[in-house]
Amino acid sequence: MSSKPKIKDLLDESACEYNKTKKQACNAPRPGATTGGCAFEGAQISLFPYADAAHLVHGPITCLGSSWETRATKTTWPGRDLTRMGFTTDVSLNDVIFSGEEKLVKAIDYIMAHYAPTAVFVYSTCVTAMIGDDIDFICRQGAEKHGIPMVPVHAPGFVGSKNLGSRLGGEAALQHLVGTLEPETTTPFDINLIGEYNVTGDMWQYRHLLDKLGIRVLATLSGDGRIKDIRCAHRAKLNVIVCAKSLVSLTRKMHEQYGIPSISLSFYGKRDTSKGLLAIARALGDPGLVARTKKLVAYEEARLEERLKPYRDVFADKKAVLNTGGNKTWSIAAALQDLGLEVVATAVKKATGDDRARAREYLGEKGVLMMNPGVEQARLIDEKGAHLLLAGGRSLYTAIKKGIAFADVNQEKKKSYGGYDGLLNLAEDLKNALENPVFKLVARRAPWQK
Amino acid sequence: MAEVTRKRDKPLQVNPVKLSQPMGATLAFSGVDRCMPLMHGAQGCTSFTKVFFTRHFCEPIAIQTTAVTDALAVLDGGGYSIVESVKNICKKTSPSLIGLHTTGLPETRGDDLRGVASKADFPLVYVNTPDYEGGFESGWALTCKALIEQLVAPAATVNDNKLVLLPHVSLTPIEVERIKELIESFGFNVLALPDLSTSLDGHLGEKQTALSSGGISVEEIKALGNAGLVISVGESMRESAKVLLQKNAGMRHHHFSHLQGLEASDSLVELLLAETGFNGVTPKVERWRQRLQDAMLDSHFSLGQTRILVVGEPDQLAGTCRILHDAGGRVTLAVSSVDSPQLEKIWAKRVLVGDLEDAEAAADEYDLIVGNCHCKALAHRLRKGLVLRGFPNWEEVGNPLKNDLLYEGGAYFLYETANVAEEMRGKTV
Repeated sequence: MSSKPKIKDLLDESACEYNKTKKQACNAPRPGATTGGCAFEGAQISLFPYADAAHLVHGPITCLGSSWETRATKTTWPGRDLTRMGFTTDVSLNDVIFSGEEKLVKAIDYIMAHYAPTAVFVYSTCVTAMIGDDIDFICRQGAEKHGIPMVPVHAPGFVGSKNLGSRLGGEAALQHLVGTLEPETTTPFDINLIGEYNVTGDMWQYRHLLDKLGIRVLATLSGDGRIKDIRCAHRAKLNVIVCAKSLVSLTRKMHEQYGIPSISLSFYGKRDTSKGLLAIARALGDPGLVARTKKLVAYEEARLEERLKPYRDVFADKKAVLNTGGNKTWSIAAALQDLGLEVVATAVKKATGDDRARAREYLGEKGVLMMNPGVEQARLIDEKGAHLLLAGGRSLYTAIKKGIAFADVNQEKKKSYGGYDGLLNLAEDLKNALENPVFKLVARRAPWQK
Repeated sequence: MAEVTRKRDKPLQVNPVKLSQPMGATLAFSGVDRCMPLMHGAQGCTSFTKVFFTRHFCEPIAIQTTAVTDALAVLDGGGYSIVESVKNICKKTSPSLIGLHTTGLPETRGDDLRGVASKADFPLVYVNTPDYEGGFESGWALTCKALIEQLVAPAATVNDNKLVLLPHVSLTPIEVERIKELIESFGFNVLALPDLSTSLDGHLGEKQTALSSGGISVEEIKALGNAGLVISVGESMRESAKVLLQKNAGMRHHHFSHLQGLEASDSLVELLLAETGFNGVTPKVERWRQRLQDAMLDSHFSLGQTRILVVGEPDQLAGTCRILHDAGGRVTLAVSSVDSPQLEKIWAKRVLVGDLEDAEAAADEYDLIVGNCHCKALAHRLRKGLVLRGFPNWEEVGNPLKNDLLYEGGAYFLYETANVAEEMRGKTV
């Protein structure tokens, strides 16, 4: 039987708030008016952070050639970090005509002989899905031959958006890894972190706090994750979805199959980090743990406040406009508010109904939820007298034109802004942006233009 | 010259250097003013490409996708998604040209691109660039050829003053500008096709637009047929030159494998002198030639004891290996992304069509690497010196202004490389 998940089922996600009001898939692509990644990219994002596994992309060069080493998903894996490597069958015209299956088998053998991974993920792509290469069979055969899990990932780009691809990645892990191994020990406080990819080390900003509380991260999907751990993930007491909508199908199914409840939270900003830690403690249902968590949260908040003091003056009376998408529309807004900035507007064009409601909650009645940020943001900067624009690179010109500071919150994030300590990184970056003379200077007219 | 290994015995690429044909096509269309490159395929190819170039150039990159989805992938034949794309693009912007190029998906399905394109009532150039064939360099070259074939009007007379420059994909915006300047100093009116020197040169525009800004205009391309002279640079551009020559029997063509180092630079100047009958160059050119010779002397001691690995596209390798060789550098290994007739002419001990795993396996053969930012991990792991060149370079800013060409760029390149070599030796001794 094919392990291909039914796309229609995945699009029709009962646990997704957004699904109830809209029949159509999230972000259905429109020809000539679409940006954003494809399903393959989404699957890659959700599974690539397993640094001990080889990620073999079965397709032509575009899929991997332009995407390897793009995401800084950090790991503590002591072996060679396989996320920093690119493996692709780089199919040629010959493979398209005569099938790429033989090449794929040989590629798996090659990887096993040279890199000895703990698992191999095989990603189908548009071309190899079209020519009908049977990656299920090849993975099954490979797993038998080499004695490690081999996971077929059916997420060719043409099935849909990045979000759907992440679901498909989660689906592959659920079907082929979760529940295939038993943990050596279990504790009453075992959790899985789902949808945290540890980009720029975000996870490490709060993981030590979980350790301190005696909460054990049994498995992650997939930030700083291990294959051995995700195979044991079915023994967790709680699934924690971190800032991600795309993996609700996975957690719903884990609830159905293994009875694991789930909660969804964010670790951006002071309030959300505190709320998140408490939510985990409460969900684990131990009064002692809740009391310990409250104490830790109080301690950490006080410590953070102390370290934020030098920034308070810089941010007092400063107003910010935020133009981003998804959960960042409110999670970054909350973080900015924690720093003492007033968030006068946030973009909700690319957010779900749930995200919009949360954005409203954080911004209050006075805050503007922008449905058409490209047009609105320039006007709002004037009207509200904003000092700072946080957006993707394309909005830089708006900031320059208005002579206000700019921070890129989409593409080029190099530092982690997660947890209590990450908020300090954000504070430092925003302070530097606000104090940087460059935004005024690049707007300066040339002497001959005066 | 070199021992060339073309045939790979590996069933996969590990840490690839290779980039795809559609990406090369996108970049070529970016050198046309107010053009919207439209990539025909699933949306991911476009998204990856956009992010890739945005990070490399630190500039907004105009590009759109036909966003082929599963139902369409099987049923459509390309017609619907392309027509719909053109409509949607025109709703938001008014491009002077739409640059339609394919990926592997529609090519596997067998879309009739020419048929669809002929029905579009919009200025459109189409080109087949499956990503399971060729690579970055050929995608660019095929696009250049398509622009000429489909836009340039045939002509019967020639304007001796007008010169067409056909640069290969690895020439940076500033390098194209420097070639144009040198030729212009001989009184020519130079048009580069494509022209990144005015589009992706890193200028801060008056306002953000969704289209490419700068580059050769569509009107200028249409009128290229009456140019008296054509200069192509890089083996990949020969075909484009050939097609351009078919537009006008009176055109004359000169080809350069590359324009790096003293001899190649001299031969371009020599040609321009012969064509114009000038008896000398500007004092500035003369001065830079002397500086390059001095730079060769100043850097020869360091480079003469350095074994070098060069990684990149075939045409890029040709120039880089030659200038290093001429200053005494010993290029022991050149790793090429794809095969090309150019490989035979590369000044290296060994040339290999391969990937960075192959480069790693040959670690004992070199001390310094010239290559893209994927080489950083390699250099770090193997404790080699590194000069970042080629696509992608996400580690450094200022890529559009990196100049290794002709007398001036050559001098800077040799100094930079020698300095990196010395620094590396300082660390390892």
